[in-house]
Amino acid sequence: MAEKHTHIIELKGIIKEYHPQKSFFSKGENKIVALNNINLGIKKGEIFGLVGQSGSGKTTMGRLLVKLEEPTKGTILLNKRPVTHLAGKALNNYRSRVQMIFQDPYQSLNPHLSISETILEPLKVHKIGTIVQRREKVIHTLETVGLLPGKDYYNRYPHQLSGGQRQRVAIARAIVLEPEFVVADEPTSMLDATIAIQLFKLLTRIRKEFNMTFLFITHNLAAAKYLCDRIAVIHEGNIVEVDSTNEIIGNPQHPYTKKLIQVQPGFHFNHLS
Amino acid sequence: MAILSVDNLSIGYQTKKGMLKAVNDISFSIEQGRSLGFVGESGCGKTTIGMTLMGLLPDNASILSGNINFMEKDLCDFSEDQWRNIRGKDVAMIFQAAMNALNPVFRVGEQIAEAIVTHNPAFSKNEVNDRLKKLYNMVEIPEHRISDFPHEYSGGMKQRAIIAMALACSPKLIIADEPTTALDVIVQDQILKEIKKIQQALNMSLIFISHDIAVVAEVCEDICVMYAGQIIEKGSKREVFTSPKHPYTKTLLSSYLSLDSDENILIPDMMETPDLIDANPGCQFSCNCNCRSTECSKNAPGWIDISKTHKAFCCEQGLSRTNNG
Ligand SMILES: Nc1ncnc2c1ncn2[C@@H]1O[C@H](COP(=O)(O)OP(=O)(O)OP(=O)(O)O)[C@@H](O)[C@H]1O
Ligand SMILES: Nc1ncnc2c1ncn2[C@@H]1O[C@H](COP(=O)(O)OP(=O)(O)OP(=O)(O)O)[C@@H](O)[C@H]1O
Ligand SMILES: [Mg+2]
Ligand SMILES: [Mg+2]
Repeated sequence: MAEKHTHIIELKGIIKEYHPQKSFFSKGENKIVALNNINLGIKKGEIFGLVGQSGSGKTTMGRLLVKLEEPTKGTILLNKRPVTHLAGKALNNYRSRVQMIFQDPYQSLNPHLSISETILEPLKVHKIGTIVQRREKVIHTLETVGLLPGKDYYNRYPHQLSGGQRQRVAIARAIVLEPEFVVADEPTSMLDATIAIQLFKLLTRIRKEFNMTFLFITHNLAAAKYLCDRIAVIHEGNIVEVDSTNEIIGNPQHPYTKKLIQVQPGFHFNHLS
Repeated sequence: MAILSVDNLSIGYQTKKGMLKAVNDISFSIEQGRSLGFVGESGCGKTTIGMTLMGLLPDNASILSGNINFMEKDLCDFSEDQWRNIRGKDVAMIFQAAMNALNPVFRVGEQIAEAIVTHNPAFSKNEVNDRLKKLYNMVEIPEHRISDFPHEYSGGMKQRAIIAMALACSPKLIIADEPTTALDVIVQDQILKEIKKIQQALNMSLIFISHDIAVVAEVCEDICVMYAGQIIEKGSKREVFTSPKHPYTKTLLSSYLSLDSDENILIPDMMETPDLIDANPGCQFSCNCNCRSTECSKNAPGWIDISKTHKAFCCEQGLSRTNNG
């Protein structure tokens, strides 16, 4: 792709530090650097992978991008405009254009809201559509993520769904507003291979249809290889390598990337005993 | 002699639209010290089976038919009192997404100690502490972390603590429901090895539930593949994974992504989801199967024996298909 490709999202010198409360056991300075000087640009319409092990800072980056948290230092730009000081209407507008599929549907879905209420909420907040239109939109979105027929799920509550079904509700909620940019944090960790791959196909399709951009967070390199145009490898808060998917997998440069590739579980019939 | 045998078990959830048949006439058994894996599509009934074996089905669920024989007791007509006697002690479960279930305001060690005390009310404080330390050693968390709070543990440590809690009373049967989904591959690998090691060392029986065939292949000796409430294929790990017979098993295995899957990996189209509320009386996969037999949806096809241990719930045409796209 040509250089002309515009960045929809840019991170410039992003640092995120946490200062957990000091406890009896941890004396002295108590600082966690979750992200350490991140510089990245994500192009419009691409599926960009962020791969790294547990605790490397992936979710933190997602939370900064959807403005659930603010960086300690640095700037985030959406379509070249800094988003740091957005407030009021502008912030509201940002929230409708940038969405996140949260990592753990057991925690992120409100147990007191039915499935329809869960997915309706963003439509209501942003005053989109009439009641009838909203209802149709919700059912359509449920079916898009493979919860068929949508009516059957409409009035259920999260505890009446299996783990993988909850995960798909979380996806439906994030895409119902047809946002420009979606942070998808491990969106298929609970899904079997057959449904996961169908969802990947779906993400690819809506990317094309709506020219949506995705940041796909995962520790599954094989999934990233299948889905992503480019991949960034993150290690202890540092991006150690960014490149096209083919280069990252086929010609990894950084020792940590090489190690990640090595530990990916394969599933080879002939290795079974 | 099987420690657990389940015969023709069906379980339903009462919903507004009618009875949802989450588990549909399944049978399986497990011997002491063996490990049995359940794999299958999201929503096919895996967790429901686990909850049934723990006597923890929600109020709107009921056992529609069948028998569950565990250590020569019939669990189907157990009272809550009887359940309390065996739950945690003879059969324990590592729950799906349990990492979040640790109570944030209590120290992790206290929470595990409580599980020990519940079933050993006569234990002295020292006995409880000894047991606690033993468990921490078993799951390889350093003893000095016993009095930490959950948020001070990493995801992997929390998951180990959950395993320790399930092991608190050395159960005969342990049910692990997706115990590693939230973890990265490195930690996942450590935990799976841990589970396997402890299971073998204590000669426990293990029912291991996962949607991930690679994970099940690492831990289990025997496999049941489920689809929409039914078990559709069973056999040893080698049989099921190296020569899958049921069209659904083949689809599941061929959609597994690995680093060397090529780009043209066969992707099944969005499959039809069988209706569990108004389930057909036959094979639930028939709406997606290209055996195209109209019979299968009306009459359950029955089991075809492939070997002494390997069986598929399918019709002859279904089995002879080499591919299904
Ligand atoms: N609110 C917080 N307070 C203190 N530390 C935090 C907080 N949130 C995150 N951290 C720390 O920041 C680091 C990065 O966490 P993050 O959740 O971004 O990791 P991750 O890459 O998403 O991991 P996983 O794959 O396990 O989800 C970790 O060391 C974590 O403990
Ligand atoms: N309390 C409930 N009321 C109504 N239906 C329910 C309830 N709990 C589960 N179900 C339904 O029963 C079916 C089986 O659910 P179960 O949780 O056993 O699936 P699972 O195989 O564990 O799936 P996953 O891999 O996604 O966790 C699903 O279709 C689910 O929607
Ligand atoms: Mg995370
Ligand atoms: Mg489940």
